[in-house]
Amino acid sequence: MSAWLRVAAVGDVPPGTLHGVTVERTKVVLANVDGDFYALRDRCSHADFPLHDGVLLGETLECIHHGAKFDVCSGKATGFPAIRPVKSYEVDVRDGDIFIQLD
Amino acid sequence: MPVNETVKDLNLDEYKYGFVDEEQHVFRTEPGLSEEVVRQISKHKDEPEWMLEFRLKALEIYESKPMPKWGGDLSGLQDTLDEIYFYVRPQDRMEHSWDDVPEKIKETFQKLGIPEAEQKVLAGVGAQYESEMVYHSLKKEWDEKGVIFDSIEDGLKKHPELFRKYFGTVIPTADNKFSAMNSAVWSGGSFVYIPPGVELDTPLQAYFRVNQELMGQFERTLIIAGEGSRAHYIEGCTAPTYSTDSFHSGVIEIVVEKGAHFRYTTIQNWSNNMYNLVTQRALVHERATMEWLDGNLGSKLTMKYPSCYLIGEGAHGNILSIAYAGDGQHQDTGGKIIHAAPNTTSSIVSKSISKGTGRSSYRGLLQVHDGARNARSNVECDALLIDETAKTDTYPYIEIDEKSAHIGHEATVSKIGDEQLFYLMSRGMAEEEAMALIVRGFIEPIAKLLPLEYAVELNRLIELEMEGSVG
Amino acid sequence: MSQAVDTEMGINEGVTDALDREAAEARSGGEPEWMRERRVHAFDVYARTPMPTRRLEEWRYTDLDEKLDLESLVLGERSNVADDPDAWPEGVRTAMDEDWDAAAHVVLIDGTMVHVDLDEALATKGVVVSSLKDAMNDEDAWEDIKQYLATQAVTPDRGKFAALNGALFLDGVYVHVPRGVHIDLPIRVTRWVSTSGAAHFDRALILAGETAKVTYVDEVLSDDLDTHTFVSNAVEVIAKDGSNVQFVQMQRLGRNVFAHSQQRTLAFRDATANTLNIALGATTSRLDLNAQMLGPGSSSEMLGLYFADADQHFDHNTSQDHVSPNAFSDLLFKGALDDRSRAVFRGIIRVHPKAQQSDAYQTNRNLLLSEEASADTLPNLEIAADDVKCSHGATVGQLDEDSLFYIMSRGIPQERAERLVVMGFLGEILLKVSLGGVVEKITSEIERKLANV
Repeated sequence: MSAWLRVAAVGDVPPGTLHGVTVERTKVVLANVDGDFYALRDRCSHADFPLHDGVLLGETLECIHHGAKFDVCSGKATGFPAIRPVKSYEVDVRDGDIFIQLD
Repeated sequence: MPVNETVKDLNLDEYKYGFVDEEQHVFRTEPGLSEEVVRQISKHKDEPEWMLEFRLKALEIYESKPMPKWGGDLSGLQDTLDEIYFYVRPQDRMEHSWDDVPEKIKETFQKLGIPEAEQKVLAGVGAQYESEMVYHSLKKEWDEKGVIFDSIEDGLKKHPELFRKYFGTVIPTADNKFSAMNSAVWSGGSFVYIPPGVELDTPLQAYFRVNQELMGQFERTLIIAGEGSRAHYIEGCTAPTYSTDSFHSGVIEIVVEKGAHFRYTTIQNWSNNMYNLVTQRALVHERATMEWLDGNLGSKLTMKYPSCYLIGEGAHGNILSIAYAGDGQHQDTGGKIIHAAPNTTSSIVSKSISKGTGRSSYRGLLQVHDGARNARSNVECDALLIDETAKTDTYPYIEIDEKSAHIGHEATVSKIGDEQLFYLMSRGMAEEEAMALIVRGFIEPIAKLLPLEYAVELNRLIELEMEGSVG
Repeated sequence: MSQAVDTEMGINEGVTDALDREAAEARSGGEPEWMRERRVHAFDVYARTPMPTRRLEEWRYTDLDEKLDLESLVLGERSNVADDPDAWPEGVRTAMDEDWDAAAHVVLIDGTMVHVDLDEALATKGVVVSSLKDAMNDEDAWEDIKQYLATQAVTPDRGKFAALNGALFLDGVYVHVPRGVHIDLPIRVTRWVSTSGAAHFDRALILAGETAKVTYVDEVLSDDLDTHTFVSNAVEVIAKDGSNVQFVQMQRLGRNVFAHSQQRTLAFRDATANTLNIALGATTSRLDLNAQMLGPGSSSEMLGLYFADADQHFDHNTSQDHVSPNAFSDLLFKGALDDRSRAVFRGIIRVHPKAQQSDAYQTNRNLLLSEEASADTLPNLEIAADDVKCSHGATVGQLDEDSLFYIMSRGIPQERAERLVVMGFLGEILLKVSLGGVVEKITSEIERKLANV
């Protein structure tokens, strides 16, 4: 089991928004779905663009660059042109801070 | 086909479809693109509210995206876009009989040989004039079997659920700047549904004609080929030659269900003042086959890369692309194949001819996803150069994440061989004839897949373009 | 993020912080004024050139944000290791043990030249093999260096890293083979990197006079390093009329290294400039290789061989410019990829207008040995003349089952059979190399990697 890394404060990611962070040279996008936090690799599986530029609608992250859609909870692709999932990370929230496990 | 017979026909030395007919329209928007233009288009089509919202969101996305910096030279495009009419309504309603189509418009299509072809070799015909389909008809036997072949607007009106289920899902608005533009201002195009198991033995054809100067055409086509069905769709495009530039940007979405076989053929022969920026994509399910036959002969600049997403096991994708770039033309074409499921196979064959100051570029993507076991693909690009001022480029992107993939890509560039030419001329053939024969041999793999009438037409077009290439 | 360490030169800080004109100027200590100006100019180009991102076609598959962290590095400094094999790291001695006959030996440690020896007879003929820094001040050499160093081949405008190297290179190798002189044995260069957590910059200038002939074998290596380290290298080959230059680079750096080599060959009338690049080590390895065919009858054979494993990422960016008519170039890069490794090949043949009768070929072949490995290959052509013979090809596949089956049917166990097939695949490149020692080194390194499977 790898270490929990603090990546942001809860306040950095208001509900319904995305927030990009870099953890140990890995880019991660955080999503706040009504107070629940999710973390995905910040790289669209379609053309490798950063997902944090996108928009969050409910649990769906839409990549602004080509319109691909992902389920932020699982990383599964839900709309073309993406087909492959993006990696999703375990998230924990403690004392107002967001932690993830990179593995 | 006997050589001399076809060569003899070569008595025209200019673009055959460049004729201009008197302007026919009952309404048009102000030049340029704006929210008002989008609202007017939607209003004229009497659309549901969701479609207006879809269009407005698309406009926003379009405006947020930069002009592509790759591909062809788009530096003059914005000026053109500020001048053109995004929507020109040629008549008040679409007809299902040629008799009801206004005389002037009918004459145009008669000159293009459409009604005649319809009787002889087609299962159905759609004809678009400026921004709207003016005619759509399907032979009765197919209508009875449940085939839908309609204008895209009627598709939305008559089959709202089917329409909404698929529209914009294969090619999302944000896919690229021009898919976003099309999503904002789309007008015309076909809605096709082939019920499961139905096999059409003759093609459906849509014909796109731009007549007016400073015209933008934005057709949108949605095709659903049901499980185990089989069909062939052909689109043809022409326009008059004006001194100003015109613009065409279509979006074609195709869903090929399990075991179905669908072929989409384009014979694009736009005039040399046309920007032609098209997005075409097919989702190919289990054991289904999608074939793109893409013939790009006309236009000033074409950027077009038909694609197949092979998402079901055993799916097959085939792209056959032929491009002809004459003086001042740039054909930036190719194809994309995504292998996203096991045992999928694909092939891309691209043939291009560049003459005078023409430039043809092959641009392709071949991707094999992790887990798409035993994917096989082969890409072949051949470029023929006819003058020392002609140019050709090849830009293949091959991205392989699967060990068991078997992928090959080859490209060659050559000029018409002096030896080949000499041989044919030693057999008594004139140089021009010999050249035409060599070129015909070069494109033959693609021409042979067309219905005979179209193959003849393609050969004739190429020969026409080849005229005067000697000396 | 950067750790500031005070030194007397005042430049030993985080590279990004330290990268100012003063750092470039400080590097020019002891150099002529024109060189100082050249470094400052290179720095200015560096400063105004944005860091490449994946939005640039040439960096599409290598994300520098994730692969290179300049902030974390200090600027590599001169090594004070003595010119004495006993004082050298063992790795240097081992590497040199395998270097048999040579016309010259050169050793650089952390970019500092600590040793050079040259065959007496060649020295008499006017051959120069020396430190670039020394040569700048040499009365016979400085004019050539002034004419060619970073002015025609790897100029600062070739990109962010070319400019950075031009501003900050610590030292490098200068080779000049005068007109008509043939050197039969290779010049052997061993470059060792020992300081981890640093950014090292060195370069080479190889100048072959009319009809001269020379082979240069460059080996860069290190142990596995504990922290992220950047090794930047620039190679300039000037092959004048009728000359023949063979350049070989073997990259066997350890883990945690980001290795970048920018190489450019200029081949004039009837000249041959051949290259062979072998990538085996480092965590990230990037090669920018450009061959210029500048005169009729010029030619360039460009070979590449790579074997990546673990999480190695190799990116090969090549180009062949046919500027002159009647020239020939042929590129063949072959690689095998194991574990989670990834290889990128992006090559382009450009036949310029009027470069008629160009013959240009380009092939990239990849062998995937594991489920997690991946390969991206982009062989491009841009042809603006009609009387040419050009082709390119690319393949990606796994071990040929038929060959495997055949070998196993002869009683050879599967694991060994697989090794034989991989060696057979890569052997096509090795067969083209007739340099004693090079083939053996590569073969044993690949065998070692294969044995880890």
